[in-house]
Amino acid sequence: MSGPLPAGPGPLTSLALMLYPPAWRERYGDEVRALLEEAGSGPVTVASLAVRAVPAWVNPPRHLHDRESRMRASVGTVLLAWAALTGVGAVFVQLTQLQGFRAPGHPLVQWCYLIFDAALAISVLTAVAGGMPLWLQMIGLARRERRPRELAWLWMAVLVPAGYLALALTALTVVHDPEASGSWWFAGFAVLGFAAAGLASAGPAVALKRLAPGGPAVAFATAAAGVAAAAVALAGLASAIAAAGLCLWTTSFAGYHHADLAGAYLLIVVAIAATGTVSAGRGVRATFAIPAR
Amino acid sequence: MANRLDRWADPPLLVLASLADEPKHGYAILRDVSETMGVRLTAGTLYAVIARLEAVGLIEPLASADRRRPYQITAAGRATLAEQSARMGRVASLAQARLGERYGWAGA
Repeated sequence: MSGPLPAGPGPLTSLALMLYPPAWRERYGDEVRALLEEAGSGPVTVASLAVRAVPAWVNPPRHLHDRESRMRASVGTVLLAWAALTGVGAVFVQLTQLQGFRAPGHPLVQWCYLIFDAALAISVLTAVAGGMPLWLQMIGLARRERRPRELAWLWMAVLVPAGYLALALTALTVVHDPEASGSWWFAGFAVLGFAAAGLASAGPAVALKRLAPGGPAVAFATAAAGVAAAAVALAGLASAIAAAGLCLWTTSFAGYHHADLAGAYLLIVVAIAATGTVSAGRGVRATFAIPAR
Repeated sequence: MANRLDRWADPPLLVLASLADEPKHGYAILRDVSETMGVRLTAGTLYAVIARLEAVGLIEPLASADRRRPYQITAAGRATLAEQSARMGRVASLAQARLGERYGWAGA
């Protein structure tokens, strides 16, 4: 039975393992690597691991999370999804509502804009009010435990958006008519905005994972994340309906009639909103679950 | 031809059956299922099944000095395996009886 040793986990296998949720990798990652060192791996193994990562995200085994880590994971995921969906929605509104194009005449589209504005405002208020006690608790924890990196991650939630706004205001002051300078200004602000939103939401999410705070602030933030996720999903739905309505009913702006653009927007919104709401649902379920013995 | 039906095999049942005699780690389960039951599980399928069976309490991990963590079947796992194998036994008996009646099949 002696023969060539089976090939251990290669870079593709490691990439496939990276597709799994962090809690899954932490629990089973080493075991799978040890198995593949003995059994070898090939394209079938890589494909099998990659495919099985999807149900691990969609329906994660419950024993991988205790109640509080489930809530923390949900708060972090909702925060990232919320930032992404708010950014996508803001770009959509900027492109369609705020640039002086003729307002879409159909009442359904107008109602969708109103719902979008109201839902987004509710989600912002809920996210700030619900996240503030947890953020303050983590700031205190990081200070007491002298953890400057975690403090830096936490302050990114404030400093990065402030820096972005300061940069945007400065640019608007220096360049009096940015619209006359072409679409590069808008593209630049949009890309920077997404980067800022990503950093501002990733900071607290990373700190949440590293500091692992507990107590009522986590439960409160999780409940708020549930409300914020629902509100921002409603905003996303309203913007998607508005995008479809613009595509069907407007007569002025040619870009509105590109069904592929509207379809791509719809797909992005649905994917982010689904991720946020599913994760928020799990967190809320954990919040109201009876703690184990 | 028989191997083409492997995809319809019930991996959780195969893993439970593999663990019924003694605790095994992942690679040992793969080999046992392949050698004794003729089904080749992939690493992705195996660990998806292990995670589910562990989550519902049908198997449990044992302490291990290295990364190859062994698993053992629990009392609930034994009860489930007994129930499922009895059901499969009834299906097998019925299938053999009907094949015999209708096609004169005398058994493998």
